[in-house]
Amino acid sequence: MTSISHPATLAPAPSRPVPRDWSRVIAVVAVSILALVVISPLFLLAVASLKPDRFQILADMGSFRAFWVSDPSLQNFRDVWTFSGALPFGRYLVNSLIILFVTVLGGVFLNSMAAFVLAWGRLPGRAVILTALIALYIVPQESIVLPLLTIVNRVGLSDSFTAQILPFMASPLYIFLIYQFFIQVPRDIYDAATVDGAGPFRIYWSVFLPISLPVLATVAILLGIETWNQYLWPLMVTQTDRARPISVGIASFFGHDSVYWNSAMAASVMMMIPVLIFYLAFQRWFVSSFISSAVKG
Amino acid sequence: MSRMGNRLLRLTALTTALGAGLAGLTAAEAATLKLMFQGDPYEVKVITETAKKFEAANPGTTIELINTPHDAYNEKVGAAVSANSLPDIMQLDAPFLANYVWSGFIQPIGPFIDKAVLDDMTASNVAQGTYPVDKQLYALGLTDSTVALYASRKQLTDLGVRIPTSVEDAWTKDEFEALLTKLSTTPGVKWPLDLFRSYGTKTEWITYAYEPVLESFGCDLIDRTTWKAEGTLDGDTCVEAAKLMQSWVQKGWVVPQSAGGNQFYAEGRPAALAWGGHWFYAEAHSQLGDDVVVVPLPKFGEKGASPNGTWIYAITKNASDPALAGKFLSFMLQDPDYRAAYREHAGFPGLKSFAADSPLYAQGGAMALAFEQASKSAVPRPPHPAYPTITLAFQKAMNNIFDGADAKDELSKAAKEIDADIEDNDGYPPFGGN
Amino acid sequence: MSIDAVPAPGAGRRGALFGGRMQEAAMLLPALALIAVFLLLPFLSSFRIALTNERLIPRPVPPRFVGLDNFQNILSDHEFWVALWNVARFTLMVLPVQCGFALAVALILNTKLPFRNVFRGLFFLPAITSMVVVCVIWATLFQYPTGPFNQILSVLSFGMAGPVDWLGDPRFAMPALVLLSAWQAYGFQMIVYLAGLQGIPESLYEAAELDGANRWQRFWHVTMPSLRQTHIFVLIITTIQAFKLFTQVNILTQGGPRGTTDTVVHYMFTAGFVNQRLGLASTVAIILFFIVLIVSLVQRFVVRDRK
Repeated sequence: MTSISHPATLAPAPSRPVPRDWSRVIAVVAVSILALVVISPLFLLAVASLKPDRFQILADMGSFRAFWVSDPSLQNFRDVWTFSGALPFGRYLVNSLIILFVTVLGGVFLNSMAAFVLAWGRLPGRAVILTALIALYIVPQESIVLPLLTIVNRVGLSDSFTAQILPFMASPLYIFLIYQFFIQVPRDIYDAATVDGAGPFRIYWSVFLPISLPVLATVAILLGIETWNQYLWPLMVTQTDRARPISVGIASFFGHDSVYWNSAMAASVMMMIPVLIFYLAFQRWFVSSFISSAVKG
Repeated sequence: MSRMGNRLLRLTALTTALGAGLAGLTAAEAATLKLMFQGDPYEVKVITETAKKFEAANPGTTIELINTPHDAYNEKVGAAVSANSLPDIMQLDAPFLANYVWSGFIQPIGPFIDKAVLDDMTASNVAQGTYPVDKQLYALGLTDSTVALYASRKQLTDLGVRIPTSVEDAWTKDEFEALLTKLSTTPGVKWPLDLFRSYGTKTEWITYAYEPVLESFGCDLIDRTTWKAEGTLDGDTCVEAAKLMQSWVQKGWVVPQSAGGNQFYAEGRPAALAWGGHWFYAEAHSQLGDDVVVVPLPKFGEKGASPNGTWIYAITKNASDPALAGKFLSFMLQDPDYRAAYREHAGFPGLKSFAADSPLYAQGGAMALAFEQASKSAVPRPPHPAYPTITLAFQKAMNNIFDGADAKDELSKAAKEIDADIEDNDGYPPFGGN
Repeated sequence: MSIDAVPAPGAGRRGALFGGRMQEAAMLLPALALIAVFLLLPFLSSFRIALTNERLIPRPVPPRFVGLDNFQNILSDHEFWVALWNVARFTLMVLPVQCGFALAVALILNTKLPFRNVFRGLFFLPAITSMVVVCVIWATLFQYPTGPFNQILSVLSFGMAGPVDWLGDPRFAMPALVLLSAWQAYGFQMIVYLAGLQGIPESLYEAAELDGANRWQRFWHVTMPSLRQTHIFVLIITTIQAFKLFTQVNILTQGGPRGTTDTVVHYMFTAGFVNQRLGLASTVAIILFFIVLIVSLVQRFVVRDRK
C-alpha cells in the first residue's frame, strides 16, 4: 500500500499487479450486485412500460409477475409520442427543456454569486442573511403556492415560462450548499487575488468558479432534477399547452376513474431519459481536488 | 474564462428572452369561449376535436381549452375566482356543485341548452346537476357513474347462489351476509369481498361507494332538511350500518387497503366479489371475460341505494355569452364522435339516447343492471356547500372504523366536525334556515 | 504544507481593501430579490391569512378576522401533535439510513473503480424517478400478502414469518415509508458527498499514509473531518426535508393506518386543500416553520460547538 494517487477510501489498491486485477474484478462484481439490488425496483417500471395492455399491468401488480413481460413491445412509447394534437408530448418536452436550461443556467450563476458574497464579502449582516435563507427553506411549497399564484396572476405572468422559471432560480438550499464549499477555500487564494487588485466579481468569476466545478455541477444536477420533476406549481400556473411541462402532461394518464398504466409507465421512462443524460454530462465535472491543486499551484 | 463568461451571460439573456417571448403569445381575444375541464387522454382528445368542429361550424368563435388535471382542480378554481378570471364553461365534480352554486360561480343552465338534450337526461343525471335550494339545473354531462357488485357467474352457480336479475330483487342484507359467510369458507377464496379500500382517502371513493349502505339502511350523512349531521350520521341506524361493514373487515372478509385493487381478477382470483365502480367492469372483463356477472348493490333495508355523479359541465356567471356557451355544450353532447369516444371507453350513460346506443348498458348488455340503478336507486351525495367537509370527515371516520376504532365515537366526531363547519359559515344561508 | 481547510464563516473579512461593497451588493441582490418576491412574500401573507377564516374557494360570506383562534384550534388538536410526533420519528429514522447509505455509495463511487461513470449513473437512477412512480413501484413491492417483499421474507424465513402488512400495520407503516423515502432520495446526499470528497486535498491522504495510517484510520481521521462542512449541510438540510414529508404519505397512506403516518405537511394539506380552510393551513405552516427553525438552530449550535 504505497502510493495512492487518489483519495481512495474503500476500494483496495494494492501495489502488486496480479492481486490488483483480482481485487478490481471483485470490487466491480460486488458493486454491480449492490447496484442491481438498489435499482431493482426500477425494473418494474421498465417492464411495465413494455406491456401494452394496461389491464395486464394491473393484474400483475403485487407479485413477481410485475417484473416479467412475455411479449415486450414499444407500442406504449409510440402511442405516447403520437397522441395526435390532444396531448402534444413533443411540445411538453421542449417546454420542459427550456425551463430546465434557463433555470439551471440562471440558478447556478445567481446562487453561486450570492454564496460568494455571503462567504467572503464584507457586507454587514451576512450571517443573519444566511440564517434567514436557511429558515426560508423550511417553508413547504404546498403552503405558498396559493399566495404565489395570486402574485403571479396579478403581474400577468400566468401560463408563462417566466412564472415557472423565476421562482425557482434563486434558492436558499443551493446558496447554502455553495456557501459551505466556498468557506472551505483557503484564505491564501482569496488574499492572493485581492493583492492583484481584483474586485469581488473578478475574484468570484476567475478564481472561485474555476475551482468549484464539483459543487457547481452538484447544484446544476440537483436544481435540474428538481425543475424537471416540478409538478404542483406548473399544474397550478399553466392553463394551456403553451408552457406546460412534461410532468404535468403525464398527469393526464392518471384519470379520474382509471389510470392508464401503460402510457403512464412509458411516459415516465421517457421522462427520465433527458434528465439522466443531463446528469451524466454534469457528473464529469466531478474532477478530484480542484481546491487542493489550486493550493499547490 | 471571462470570454466564456460573456458567452454564458449572452446565452442566459437569450434563453430568458426566448422564454418571455413564448410566454407573450396569447390567443386572440375576440369571441372566445373559455372551457376549463379535466379528463383522461381520450377525453382531452375528443373534446379538442369537438371544439374544432364547433369552430368550423360557427366562424368567428374560438374555443380556448384549459385542460386542468383534476389533481389541483379546486385550487385552480379558487385561484381563478380570486383573479376574477373564471372561464365561460367549467367542468365540476357533481358533489361539489352545491358548493359552487352557493358561492355564486355558476348560473342555471336550463335556458341555454337544447330542449332535446334536457329531455334526454336520465333521472340520475338531473339529480347530480340540480341545486336543492331553487331546484334548478346548473350542470349536465353525457355521462354519469355508479357502483355495482361484480362476481364470477360460475362461482355463484357452483355455490347455488341466486343471481339477481333486476334492481328490485337485489340481494337482501341476510342473503348478502349468508353469501359472504359461505364464500369465507370456499376453497380458493382469500377474501369474500373487495371494497376497494386501496383507493384510500385521497379520492372520493369512501363517501361515494359506502354512503349507499347508509342510505339503504335508512340513514344519511346529514339530515337533508335541517342540514345537521348530529343525530343522523351518529344516530343508531348509521352506527349499525358502520358496525356491519366493520364486522366484515374484522372477520377478514374484506381485501385490506394495502393488497391493491386487483384481487378480484389477479392470478388465483383471491377476492370473490368486487364492490366496484362502473369503470371496473372493463378491468375485470379483460381478465375474466364473460364469466363476470354484474349485480345491483344489496338492499340492507327497505330500499336499495346506489351512488351517482361524475364530472359535468356548468356555465359560469362570468360567461360573456351564456347562450353561445349553451350552444357549444348542446353541440358537444350530441356530437356522434364525442359519444363514440365515451362509448368506446365504457362511459356510464347520463343521456337515455346514449344508453340505448351503448350495447354494454342497453337492455341485455352486461352492465344493464348497473344502468338500471341510475333510474331506480341512485342517491346523490348531500348537495350542500359544506360537502368538502362532510366527505373528509366521513372518509376519515370510516377508515378508522375499518381499522378498529369504535363506530359510535368516530361517527360522532365526524358529525361534530361537519356541524362545526356549517356553524362556522353561519349555516350557509339559505340552507338550514328554511 | 498544512492547510486549515475549514476557516470559520466570514473568514474573508480582511479581504479586498477597495470599496467593493457596491459590487458585492449587486452580486447578492438578484438572488435575494427573487427569494423575497417568490418565497418570503407569499410566506408573509400566510401570517395574514392565519388570522382569518379564509377559504380555498372564496365564499359569498367574506373572510373575517378570527385572532388566534386558528392557533388555539391546532395546538389543542390531538391529531396535530400526533402528526408532529410522527414526523419527528420519521426524521430520526430516515436521517441515519439515508445519509449513511449516501455516504457509503459516494465513497465507493469516488474510488478508481472501473466503469465508474456507469455506476454513478445507476446509483443515481432512483433520484431522478418522480415520486409518483416511486410510490406506485413500492406499493407493489409492499403489497400484502403476496407482494415481492413478503415473498422474499417467506423464503428467507423458510416460511416461518407470516406476511407483513407493510403499509397497513401501524407498527410497520412508518418504517416502510422510511425505507422508500431513503431509497428515492439518497441520491441527493450522495452527490453532495461526492462533491465534498472532491475537495479533500490528496496531500492529506499522503501525509496520513506516511504516518502509517490504515484505510480505516484514514477514513476517520482524514475523510470524515474534511467533510465537516458537507456533514453540516447534509444534516441540516436532510432534517428540514424530512420534516416536510408529504408526497409519499399523500399517495400511499394518507396518514393511515390510524394516523400513524400522518405528517404535519399532510395535516396542513388536508386542512387547506381538502377541507378548504386556508386560515388553518396557514397556521400549520407557521407553527411548522418555527418548530423546524428551532430544531435547525439547535443543530447548528451543536455542530458549531464541537469545533
